[in-house]
Amino acid sequence: MAAESEQTFSETSPALQNAVKSSNQPPPETKESLWLRRLSILSFWAVVVFLGLPIWLKTTAIYRAELPLQEMTEWAEGKVCKPVFPLRIAVEAPDVSADAHHLLRTTQHALDDINDFSAHHLRLMLADPPLTANASQQVVSDGTRIQSDDEDVALLIRLIPVETGTTPRSHLQPFSPTLDVYYSPNQIPSQSSTGSTLATFLAQELHSLFAEEQAQLAHLLSTISGAHAAKVKALSPETSAQLERQSTRALKYAPTYHLTFSLFSPSYAPSAWDIETALRTYISPLLESFSGISNFTVDTQVQLYATFAPSVRQPEYDEETKAWTLRKEDLSGFVNAAEWPLSPSIGKGPTVNFIVYVPDHTQSPLLVNENAGNSWLIPQWGGVHILNLQSESDTPSALTTEMLAPAMHTFSNQLISLFGLPQSPASLPLRISTLERVRAASLIFSASSTLGALAQVYKKLPSIPVPDNVAQSTHRTIVHLQQACDFLRDGRFPSALEHARAAEVEAEKAFFERSMVGQVYFPDEHKVAVYLPLLGPVAVPLVMAALKELKSILKRG
Amino acid sequence: MKFSAALLPLLAAPLAAASEHTSNWAVLVSTSRFWFNYRHLANVLSLYRTVKRLGIPDSQIILMLPDDMACNPRNAFPGTVYNNADRALDLYGDNIEVDYRGYEVTVENFIRLMTDRVGEDMPRSKRLMTDERSNILVYMTGHGGNEFLKFQDAEEISAFDLADAFGQMWEKKRYHEMLFMIDTCQANTMYSKFYSPNILATGSSEIDQSSYSHHADNDVGVAVIDRYTYYNLEFLETQVQDPTSKLTMGDLFDSYDEEKIHSRPGIRYDLFGGDQRARERRVMDFFGNVQNVEVGNEQGNETQWVQPGGPSAAKASRRHSENSQPEAGHVVEKAKPAQSLRREGAMKVDEEQNWTKQVYGAAALVGCAGIWLAGSWMESM
Repeated sequence: MAAESEQTFSETSPALQNAVKSSNQPPPETKESLWLRRLSILSFWAVVVFLGLPIWLKTTAIYRAELPLQEMTEWAEGKVCKPVFPLRIAVEAPDVSADAHHLLRTTQHALDDINDFSAHHLRLMLADPPLTANASQQVVSDGTRIQSDDEDVALLIRLIPVETGTTPRSHLQPFSPTLDVYYSPNQIPSQSSTGSTLATFLAQELHSLFAEEQAQLAHLLSTISGAHAAKVKALSPETSAQLERQSTRALKYAPTYHLTFSLFSPSYAPSAWDIETALRTYISPLLESFSGISNFTVDTQVQLYATFAPSVRQPEYDEETKAWTLRKEDLSGFVNAAEWPLSPSIGKGPTVNFIVYVPDHTQSPLLVNENAGNSWLIPQWGGVHILNLQSESDTPSALTTEMLAPAMHTFSNQLISLFGLPQSPASLPLRISTLERVRAASLIFSASSTLGALAQVYKKLPSIPVPDNVAQSTHRTIVHLQQACDFLRDGRFPSALEHARAAEVEAEKAFFERSMVGQVYFPDEHKVAVYLPLLGPVAVPLVMAALKELKSILKRG
Repeated sequence: MKFSAALLPLLAAPLAAASEHTSNWAVLVSTSRFWFNYRHLANVLSLYRTVKRLGIPDSQIILMLPDDMACNPRNAFPGTVYNNADRALDLYGDNIEVDYRGYEVTVENFIRLMTDRVGEDMPRSKRLMTDERSNILVYMTGHGGNEFLKFQDAEEISAFDLADAFGQMWEKKRYHEMLFMIDTCQANTMYSKFYSPNILATGSSEIDQSSYSHHADNDVGVAVIDRYTYYNLEFLETQVQDPTSKLTMGDLFDSYDEEKIHSRPGIRYDLFGGDQRARERRVMDFFGNVQNVEVGNEQGNETQWVQPGGPSAAKASRRHSENSQPEAGHVVEKAKPAQSLRREGAMKVDEEQNWTKQVYGAAALVGCAGIWLAGSWMESM
């Protein structure tokens, strides 16, 4: 610095004007200051490159957890799990003899011949009667025997020898999965014969019992991607149309449904109802039997002075039947959705509405004109029951459980319909277990397809952040799916359903992760516009200094 | 019922029944604030009233209104919103359910709504709970430009964001078929980036074209409705009288008259599998809530399947029949061009895509950088 200032002084001397032109150069820098300058430039660059750049990259990077994309896609394409439904059917014979074994074999043979849907397979097993089981029978466990009270048994056939009546004949117990088959002892096939009336009868009976289930499952498989299409039997158009309608009516699967029971009355009465007892008596048993599939929450309400929508045609008095009538086409307007407080958004699941309407005693009885009915079902929404009270006088101020009984019967029927329970066979536990299998399969499909969707979104939209819990949920989904699939193959349907449900919940959680909303798209021009004013003033001196220094190095070198 | 008889192995035929929908949803979005954008709210409320009249229940309509014109202090008719200078029909009425209001109407909330990535505390009425059997009508109006639509003067949604949101919905099977309708300047650019199947898209104006308002109400003091929406509504209100209407989307699209709309409406068929298929769709498939209703006696008791849709539909229908006549008359009257040609607020934002402009831009940027460099150089000399 001192040298420079001296030079400046000398410049001012006029005598040296000419000499200045040639010698007006700074004196050579000392090595020290040269290196000092280089070091300082370098240190600035080091800060930018090693601190600034990583911080910028780190803070602007979108965190995307690793997902097993390959596996997810395979699940979605149905390559991993091909659902099969091996149903165990226990046969309880009066005496376990070689003849019974032979009957079983013949029946199994006949069954396999009729069955044209390979994924759904009925396996007959000889059962030990739980009560009469003695020591010698319990020792035998060769895989063809099974305890008849095992929960994985789909159906128990009791062979009962009788002397009278037409044989063979069968009776399906309505409240337990048991088929009683009556036969005359001479219908047991002998060891030598290859067929028998009893075996054929049993096979036919079983086939027709599970026909609707097979149709439902086949329909389900056919609606899923082509991976399964090959081995699925084709359904006739009428059957699939009917199944389609059934699925249209039924509620979409949800882990929890919210049931709302509402009492609407056009006047001040009835203002109370014994709904708690009524629900406990009529609805709770049904909900309990469904509890393996979905959970339910229930609330009730009483609404007085509930009027019809003004635009709706008022009920008309029919002289012939001495009743007030509603026309069928007006039923859709019966529920005054604008003013009646329905769909309360309580609870997690979708709301199913059940409405009891008690008409004013001046307008009672109130019936549907076309068929003199008093209840109807609204697909995927709920049901309505008009409760016409018998009393001639004033409407009572409270409704007893007995008064509510017809409404509760209607609602339980409607709930069964809405829940997607198959229409046959007549045994409720059998229908519920069918629904279990159908739900398990459809949940596996839907969870798999959600995984596929997540994989697609992950691949297609790189701007979406994917937090770690999505990856965790994905892994849990895959584990549950695998377990569900394994249980399905083993014929352990309740456990399969349980895991399928868990898989569905986890898959939904992964896909609908709240933070997975991408950054809004910016065109490149916008990015330039943002970064240039910010980085330009910093970058220019840095670049210029570096260039200048490089040039001087080159000149020296 | 005997299933075994019906289970004869037949040729595997594609299921015709798979092309059915079971519920209809509508997402109606206005994106602009402030009194002079009265007409955008009127657009949306008009459409809200129409879909409600045709049977979509309130719980399946998501209405996004960024401002409250009815309660605006500048509103000479407090508590009302009209879409016509005759003020025959109060759109605000007594039964409006606004799901997203005011500052809740943001790009983020819209995308969250479409993809259902919402918090656990979000009420069900504010969520789009659709599945693979739901038809969705998405109607948007506001101020926009080439490939963007402004939200509340604060942010904008681009055509890419919209396309990605719909893409995610398709992946997750959140819709069966979708009708996307947009009334804004350069509207047709908004659907140009869509890539998901089964979306039928229509917009009010081409690139570089503005979308104009229809007419103003001098007492309200601002334009009350946009042209494209006006003529859509004219068709829906005069032709589609009740939910049994058999009119098709083709009929609706054919009713578009460039002379009247003052811009060229666009229709995008390719994602929907060609114009043939798209034009055959009923108007009611998107604007109403008609399902294949089963009426039958189940189990011998008096159970019947009836269609939800509800009294609101009937009520609206009654209101409609009261009003449709004067309205129709009004339309004829209003078609006189002189008064209706009010080009108010038609925002025109040119964001050219062609190369020459980009080169100009790049050159300008490089020039700026050059001047800067030169300046720094001089300084350092």
